[in-house]
Amino acid sequence: MMEKLRSSAMVKRLFSSFAVVAVLCVMTGPPGSTATPMAGITGSFTAPASFFGLFRGQRWMVFFVIALVFFGVWTLWLKRGTQIKGAVSKTMAQPKEVLERRPVRIGVYAVFLLIALVLPHVVTDPFWQDAMVEQILVFVLLALGLNVVVGFAGLLDLGFVAFYAIGAYATAWVTGALPLPPPFGIHLDSFAAIPVAIILAMVSGVILGTPTLRLRGDYLAIVTLGFGEIIFIFANNLTGITGGAAGTNAIPHYHFHISSLNVIWGLGPVPYYYLTLAFVIVFLIIFSLLNHSRIGRSWTAIREDEVAAESVGINPLKYKVMAFAIGAASAGFAGSLTASQITYVSPSIFTVQFSINILVLVIFGGMGSITGVVVGAIIIQTISMFLIHTPPAGFQTQDLYIYIGALLMVMMIFRPSGLIPSKRRKREIRLSEAGEGHMDEVLTGDTP
Amino acid sequence: MSDDTIFDVQNVTLRFGGVVSLNDVSLHQNRGEILAVIGPNGAGKTSLFNSLTGVYQPQEGTITFKGRDGKSMEIIGRKPHRVSNAGVARTFQASRMFSAMTTFENVKIGAEDHHGIGAIGAMLRGPATRRGEHESDERTIELLDFVGLRERANVISSSLSYGDRRRLEIARGLATDPQVLLLDEPAAGTNPAEKIQLTSLIRRVRDEMGVSILLIEHDMKLIMALAERLYVLNFGSVIATGTPDEIRSNPAVVDAYLGTSADAAKGA
Repeated sequence: MMEKLRSSAMVKRLFSSFAVVAVLCVMTGPPGSTATPMAGITGSFTAPASFFGLFRGQRWMVFFVIALVFFGVWTLWLKRGTQIKGAVSKTMAQPKEVLERRPVRIGVYAVFLLIALVLPHVVTDPFWQDAMVEQILVFVLLALGLNVVVGFAGLLDLGFVAFYAIGAYATAWVTGALPLPPPFGIHLDSFAAIPVAIILAMVSGVILGTPTLRLRGDYLAIVTLGFGEIIFIFANNLTGITGGAAGTNAIPHYHFHISSLNVIWGLGPVPYYYLTLAFVIVFLIIFSLLNHSRIGRSWTAIREDEVAAESVGINPLKYKVMAFAIGAASAGFAGSLTASQITYVSPSIFTVQFSINILVLVIFGGMGSITGVVVGAIIIQTISMFLIHTPPAGFQTQDLYIYIGALLMVMMIFRPSGLIPSKRRKREIRLSEAGEGHMDEVLTGDTP
Repeated sequence: MSDDTIFDVQNVTLRFGGVVSLNDVSLHQNRGEILAVIGPNGAGKTSLFNSLTGVYQPQEGTITFKGRDGKSMEIIGRKPHRVSNAGVARTFQASRMFSAMTTFENVKIGAEDHHGIGAIGAMLRGPATRRGEHESDERTIELLDFVGLRERANVISSSLSYGDRRRLEIARGLATDPQVLLLDEPAAGTNPAEKIQLTSLIRRVRDEMGVSILLIEHDMKLIMALAERLYVLNFGSVIATGTPDEIRSNPAVVDAYLGTSADAAKGA
């Protein structure tokens, strides 16, 4: 009897609901220590700065109510999930059809551009003005670059930050900010450093890509993860070249002087905002053209069926390296931009978490969809910045990625192809769910 | 190797560990010929195709392909995309389209020039890129007309019927402007009406486009109607060759297909 009860799905779900809410308690409670390992749980009921601290008085009651509500929603979803999904996608389909009309779309772009242009004059909080450049626009740029690798070519890159670091350090190098003297003793200004950063990042992309892109899926992910770590450790330990853990500062701001015209970026975040915005728009346009070109189609073909792609004359390795190099170049560019803006580089920026963060932006927004990636990056980075700037009760900065992770999980359950999915990617996911796709089959036929 | 030979396979042996998939196979195909390879399941037909297209690398023997400029080229040791660029197109046994793309896009991928890099041109959509797009579009429409899929051009390819998928694969193969087209069981999964259409389509590919055809098929009716010459494979070896009529009356072939010899041969 007990055995039967325990194995029933309903009971399992009930216990899981309690477990989830308990995890929520631990997450929002104060951090524990070896002396008080249970502080997370007990604290979440007693400390005022925790989730349950919000509800004074009957905290245990609140715990049960939330767990039961969670259980109820879960059960309902299992029973009526497909219907709810259908209803939602029906209501979503209507505005989408309108959006797909060309004049409407151009109008929407124009409105967004206008908003982007006036934004720094509306939002005057210095925290947000900085965040818009350093945490949002630069991340949009990075997400666009990673989208070429992950979304277009279907290569899982977990070490994207390496190219960002290479771009940043290259800028520091040629502007003379590193202990390593710049090439030929010439100190370039920051604008001139951009092409150097792009080329160095691109070359390292090709050098890493050529031998490793023969690997498939998971193996490639491991190799790129390792590469990211190598670059991090180089930056951290090669004190004589990179300045070590302390990094280096004194990278010059962007500036140009033509006769009497003197323009210097660096007096505040707003000039940088417009500069970065301009670059974002340029990248948006060229990547969109790239996606709809012969090269974009070849990437799709390789992603869907590599054997068939080869049979029509596509060299998969060439196109994969190309995607890798283009992604690396845009990361190098973003690195150069960041270095000149914040005027310093230090290894602590270039962590694995940074790579994962960018990957989350791409997956959340919709792999392969340029609009999706931009919107996804803006939304996630804005949420992150909001949580850091005005933390709600119970929020601790070190918990940020727990919340972002939870958001991503919810997204994957309800919209596995991302917020604004690319049409092709969406179809691929649907087809492979139906057992139609053969993305990972190697060979067909009567092999012995 | 005579002038009108397109494929010349000499003593090819392909092994996977201890398993011999192709054992000392020799065959040749003349330019403009419709040649068929038949044999029971597991005889090594698809292995032969994969060897001819660079997917498998046989350990012994030579496969010489004579391209459009009359230059001979060794297939073994070349990557599949190089073989395709040289003028060998193929279809697959379990049709392998780019299933999330439209019919049009599937064929267009084949029609495009995959040489060079062109990334900068593609990013800026320069005049050369635009001209290339235009040319591939025209060629794609032409081929869709040829195989009779023009009305289905904007359909997602995974929603096509089996017969249409076969025709799409043929169009995609032809888009690469091949000298020879390798068809791996083109009639599998098609209905009788589609089979008739397919037979005439394959013949038109040869007659109107001058593309040689090499096909693997189980459907004897289709083989006998199309093929000008046959090779019979069994356990990785060529056991017979000849015209359809010769093959039909060859006791070794009957034996391979039906297992026992005398009694079954009488029945057949």
